[in-house]
Amino acid sequence: MRVLLVEDEAPLRETLAARLKREGFAVDTAADGEEGLYLGREVPFDVAIIDLGLPKKSGMELIQELRAAGQRFPILILTARTSWQDKVTGFKHGADDYLVKPFHVEELLARLNALVRRASGWTKPTLECGPIVLDTTAQTVKVANAPADLTSYEYKVLEYLMLHAGELVSKADLTEHIYQQDFDRDSNVLEVFIGRLRRKLDPDNTLKPIETVRGRGYRFAIARTDSNA
Amino acid sequence: MARRPLSLQTRSLFAAGIALAAFLGLTGFALDRAIYETLRSALRDRLESYVYGYLAASEVARSRRWLPPEIGPDKRFDRPDGGLYASVIGPVEIDGVKAEQWRSPSALGAAMPLDAKLKPGEVKFAGPLDAAVGNIYLFSLGVRWEVPNREPIDLTIHVAENASSLDGQLDVFRRTLLVYLGGLGALLLLLLLAMLRWSLRPLRSVSADLTRVERGERERLSSNYPHELSRLAANINQFIDSERLHLARYRNTLADLAHSLKTPLAVMRNELDSGESGEQLRWTVLDQVGRMDQIVAYQLSRAAASGHTTFAAPIPLEPPAEEIVASLEKVYAERKILCEFDIDPKARFYGEHGDLLELLGNLLENAFKWAQRRVLLTARARPGRDKRRGGLELMIEDDGPGIDADKVEYLLQRGVRGDERVQGHGLGLAIVQDLVKAYRGSLEVSRSSALGGAAFTLRFGMA
Repeated sequence: MRVLLVEDEAPLRETLAARLKREGFAVDTAADGEEGLYLGREVPFDVAIIDLGLPKKSGMELIQELRAAGQRFPILILTARTSWQDKVTGFKHGADDYLVKPFHVEELLARLNALVRRASGWTKPTLECGPIVLDTTAQTVKVANAPADLTSYEYKVLEYLMLHAGELVSKADLTEHIYQQDFDRDSNVLEVFIGRLRRKLDPDNTLKPIETVRGRGYRFAIARTDSNA
Repeated sequence: MARRPLSLQTRSLFAAGIALAAFLGLTGFALDRAIYETLRSALRDRLESYVYGYLAASEVARSRRWLPPEIGPDKRFDRPDGGLYASVIGPVEIDGVKAEQWRSPSALGAAMPLDAKLKPGEVKFAGPLDAAVGNIYLFSLGVRWEVPNREPIDLTIHVAENASSLDGQLDVFRRTLLVYLGGLGALLLLLLLAMLRWSLRPLRSVSADLTRVERGERERLSSNYPHELSRLAANINQFIDSERLHLARYRNTLADLAHSLKTPLAVMRNELDSGESGEQLRWTVLDQVGRMDQIVAYQLSRAAASGHTTFAAPIPLEPPAEEIVASLEKVYAERKILCEFDIDPKARFYGEHGDLLELLGNLLENAFKWAQRRVLLTARARPGRDKRRGGLELMIEDDGPGIDADKVEYLLQRGVRGDERVQGHGLGLAIVQDLVKAYRGSLEVSRSSALGGAAFTLRFGMA
């Protein structure tokens, strides 16, 4: 999951970025509104965290301009002020959720996951495609009710594919969204991950959950079982 | 730099002074004209009578010549430069000598316009004319004198009077007029000043009262003002009250903040003093920092509530409620909660827009948090206790578990201090309670009859 973090306070920005990376997010940071706007226009993010009090360009302006530029990714605003006036203004300008500082990082992570999930059309925190069930809150995967033992990166790859179940996901997309900006992008690594995922999810090779679209990418092939859609 | 505007008293005096001056000036002018005309016409009559006096006292000789009388009708005609002058143009005989003109002794040798010849029956009155002896008024009459058994003779008689006597009378009159009108003006101005001071006295007393309020000698303005000022005074009083409430709130907030931060600080200090180390210390500090966070967040949002009601414009309920619900529907998108409005279009909130958002935001967010499927916002216009403003009843209901009657009091009490809150309904409700208090409204928590969950009812300014 690729996240844009725009926060001017360096200590908060750095600890938050470090934590998000540990949680498997690909993080791009910006220290002011202009840098945030530049990144937000150039990079296909899955979600953005934007502080409202920013130098050069306020958070509200940044959100407005990102939306005006056609960026549809969900935005979570961080604010030190708790007034509803601010919240309402933020939502009006195109924010999708807010969090009041100080906050617990767990809360932030839960909100980010929920936003990403909602943005790709999932309404429940568990993604179900046939026998494969991915719980985004607990970050666990079950195949036909038996827990599957995935590494953090394998989980992230699967989560991304399942979020976009039925859609074609290019290798570039996958690396962009899973890896950090300056990570070594060797597509072999990705193929290795996909291979391991296939073995772990489908040891008998009967489900065939991940389809390879030659020369273009991958597709999660099992249809969504979204009971509350 | 802008000049300070003139005082009300100066303005009124200035305006009245101008009006008075114009009025008195015109009166003076009219009176002056009238008296001048009167004097002038009296003079004309007098001069005319002199002419007839001359005619009566004179006769015509057989030679068809006019013989001047021995003495004039007034002795001033006979003294050199006596102030009255006469001349007769026509065939005259003076001491046996024939001449074509006769002048009274007073007019001899002086250059005067006494030589014109008029047709019989013609009358002329003119003046003031410039003459060697000064300005004169001149009355002239042309006559045809019948001589028995002879041709009649035509004569022109001029009689003039020096202007000084008329001017003197006019001067006396003008002086008298000036004294009286001036006196009248001064008197009117004084009267006006007294009236102004009397009618502006309530304003001065408001300002004196305000000074006393500022100095702290009085709590508020008295209510004993004339009708025109009573609303102003009432508004100022409301303003003073709300400022005072405000100040008290700030003071309380500050005291609450300081006091409530003391506990976690004391806990941490104890922990440090007790020589506790490692994991235990870390957990204590984390715990206490979390608590301090909550305290600061709570007090911050309390400070944001303003509660100014004095001059607030009426705000309709629907637009801010829409904004809040649009926001909440984003945040709670997964819950698929249906929020319905039943808003009386006449319902108005008298206060700050931000405060209304805060009230609706906190209560609606609680409702969204606890609801299963439905939230209902009802707003009703109610008769107000203030005749200029209507009252307002707001109700927010949900179909969640609701709050048991025995828990209500506990819940509301807990909101009072920031360091001890009930999870979920806590912080938002405490802010709502503060705002309700600031707006002198009431908050009631009950069970919703429509939806079965919690119902929060707010009432503002109701009779």
